[in-house]
Amino acid sequence: MSLMPFASSRPLSMGVELELQLLSCNDYNLVSSAPDILRRVSKRAHPGEIKPEMTRSMIEINTSVQHEYSGLVNELHALRDVVSDAGRFLNIAVAGGGTHPFQHWSEQKIFDAPRFHYLSELYGYLAKQFTIFGQHVHVGCPGPDEALHLMHMLSRYIPHFIALSASSPFVQGHDTGFASARLNSVFSFPLSGRAPFVLRWEDFEKFFSKMTSTGVVESMKDFYWDIRPKPEFGTIEVRVCDTPLTVEIAAAIACYIQAMSRYIMVEQRIAPEEDDYLVYTFNRFQACRFGLEGVFIDPRTHEQRSIREDITDMLSRIADHARELRATEAMERIREILINGNGTTWLRKTYSREHNLGDVMQLQAELWMRA
Amino acid sequence: MTWSDYLPIWPLAITPALWIALTLVVAVLVGEALVRHLRLPRIVGYVGVGLLLGPHAFGLIPELPLTEWRLVIDLALGILLFELGSKVNLHWLKTNRWIAGASLLEAAATFFLVFALLVWMDTPGATAAVVAAILIATSPAIVVRTITESRAQGQVTDRLLLMTALNCIYAVILHKLTVAAMHGAAGTSALHTILQPLYLIGGSALLAWLFGFTFERIHHYLGHHEETFSFILFGMIAFATIMASTLKLSPVLVLLAAGLITRYHRQRPRTFPPHFGSAGAVLVVLMFIGNGLAGNLSGLRESFLLVWLLIGVRAVAKISSVLALAHHSGLSLRQGTALGVALMPMSSVTLLLTLETSATFPSFASGFGLTLMSCIVILELIGPILVQVSLRRAGETPETSQR
Repeated sequence: MSLMPFASSRPLSMGVELELQLLSCNDYNLVSSAPDILRRVSKRAHPGEIKPEMTRSMIEINTSVQHEYSGLVNELHALRDVVSDAGRFLNIAVAGGGTHPFQHWSEQKIFDAPRFHYLSELYGYLAKQFTIFGQHVHVGCPGPDEALHLMHMLSRYIPHFIALSASSPFVQGHDTGFASARLNSVFSFPLSGRAPFVLRWEDFEKFFSKMTSTGVVESMKDFYWDIRPKPEFGTIEVRVCDTPLTVEIAAAIACYIQAMSRYIMVEQRIAPEEDDYLVYTFNRFQACRFGLEGVFIDPRTHEQRSIREDITDMLSRIADHARELRATEAMERIREILINGNGTTWLRKTYSREHNLGDVMQLQAELWMRA
Repeated sequence: MTWSDYLPIWPLAITPALWIALTLVVAVLVGEALVRHLRLPRIVGYVGVGLLLGPHAFGLIPELPLTEWRLVIDLALGILLFELGSKVNLHWLKTNRWIAGASLLEAAATFFLVFALLVWMDTPGATAAVVAAILIATSPAIVVRTITESRAQGQVTDRLLLMTALNCIYAVILHKLTVAAMHGAAGTSALHTILQPLYLIGGSALLAWLFGFTFERIHHYLGHHEETFSFILFGMIAFATIMASTLKLSPVLVLLAAGLITRYHRQRPRTFPPHFGSAGAVLVVLMFIGNGLAGNLSGLRESFLLVWLLIGVRAVAKISSVLALAHHSGLSLRQGTALGVALMPMSSVTLLLTLETSATFPSFASGFGLTLMSCIVILELIGPILVQVSLRRAGETPETSQR
């Protein structure tokens, strides 16, 4: 199967996908109720899409194509309200966050659809371990070569997105010490990591057809890269973020990526280099492990600073672009995260007050569903 | 000194307690065998062994006066009722009124269909109403025990717990009302006919509230220390049960309401170990064996057709009511069927109501009492299987246990 041609999309348009947790209101453990929720929401008119995910305790909400913060946040509010109402009707709580703090992977059930059964057959327990909850952000690109350029330039700032969205410190009942433990589950997939360093679409097509001829992959969906091109939408898709604890933060992070993309396309105009990737896994690890306090090494200058400092610096560089995109409010929210901490900070603080992960999960769901 | 001073005299003088101890071992072994080889619920083994060894079958175990079992049954049922109540989220009825509707419809349909059947068969109205009220109840013991055992979770499980709690409340209250009507038919003044149910409901609610309040305070003070906590809880349940009987209130209503009230007022949900610890679990097993021992199928000889008609009509009423509102309440057809079928089991609550009526009206004991006893034995043996199969078919049991 060859790669489909790169569709055209309006540059810097964006779309957000959020994977959400479904919880039993009795103990706030995950509950396999995706079919019930989906049956309920299918009767209601709503923007975007609400879809099943790998296991039955997850659902995914997708926005339509959006251009600025206010539209994006409104649509996310509408989607959140539809899902939350369905949840209340069915005695199911809905929450954000990258991991469930005490679920057991073996209790999860694969959603009844051919693709999920296929993946479950192929990956075995990894598929059930994949009951983790991420935010994916699509950014529209004028053309395929521009998409590859943007993908490689954004790769450098992957730690920003991880640290800002991090909200998965707890796994299987314990604090992992990581800001985002969710990504550790992604890394166990054989085709995770980063895209190959090719800058022209025809070279990417060659790479793709070589990969398909080996039989390793069938479609772009089989690559679990941190950022990957999505030719049918004409976008690149940033996939490293945890689902934040509120839709407002999710929208703000999407707009941060959008403003940074505008900065890269319009102002920065430098070519990516293969050596940019020398520090890639180190920086990414620092972001997963330490969040905003993690060390960030600049691939060009080799200068070391904290991820928080690098984001502060970036915010001032992209301020004009954010204003152009009417995303100033979103940048304010990003600044608030730098001051008050990310989702992981909130979760640890709540746990030290409540001493019970079930209670943390209840409060986390109340935060998400809040009307 | 003679032989008999230190050697036992043949034949051995064996107390019934020894046989009961042995029955516990055998019943648990049979229960395990059923799970391993036939994938049937353990309760079937407990009840079945009790029934087979009991006075009404092979008679290996002599008939025990009910009072000896009463503490075990009361305590175990108390644990299960309180457990059921504390698993049920009454707030849900506010966000999904169709569930309240389904519960009321299911109970009303059961009552009126059974009542109509019996009146059609020339049963006096008051007696027909008592039997119809008793048949509303789904067994909390079987439902809680089977859900615990199959580790089920999901829509059908949550609704089964909720509807079971509600229909037990309806059954107990309607039973009191209809028994009062039976008294009225026997010539008691109208004043008492009205005051008695009012006293029952008000008194039980007050006692339940006191129980719930004390429970929360103690739980708050002790925290999660399982052993200490379960000792105190058992003491409280025994106290509440005896207190309720002394005050001529309903222990069933008090403990169920106590569970519901604590859950309703609690800010944060709490999970407790099944049956509040292993001591509770032993009592629950003993209760099912005791129910088997008390099982009496002699009613089948006299009124074979009536027993199966009652079971059939009750099943039709419950399943069709749940199915009628399944779509509106957010269930698929498959889930609705599963929920309806899972409402079938009858056990301890029905047994207690039947025994209570029989004690008051001797004519009931020899007539409908025996018919109801047969219904109970049948639905106590089939009920757990129906619940387990329903939960499995609804996809609410863990996938690993389906292998």
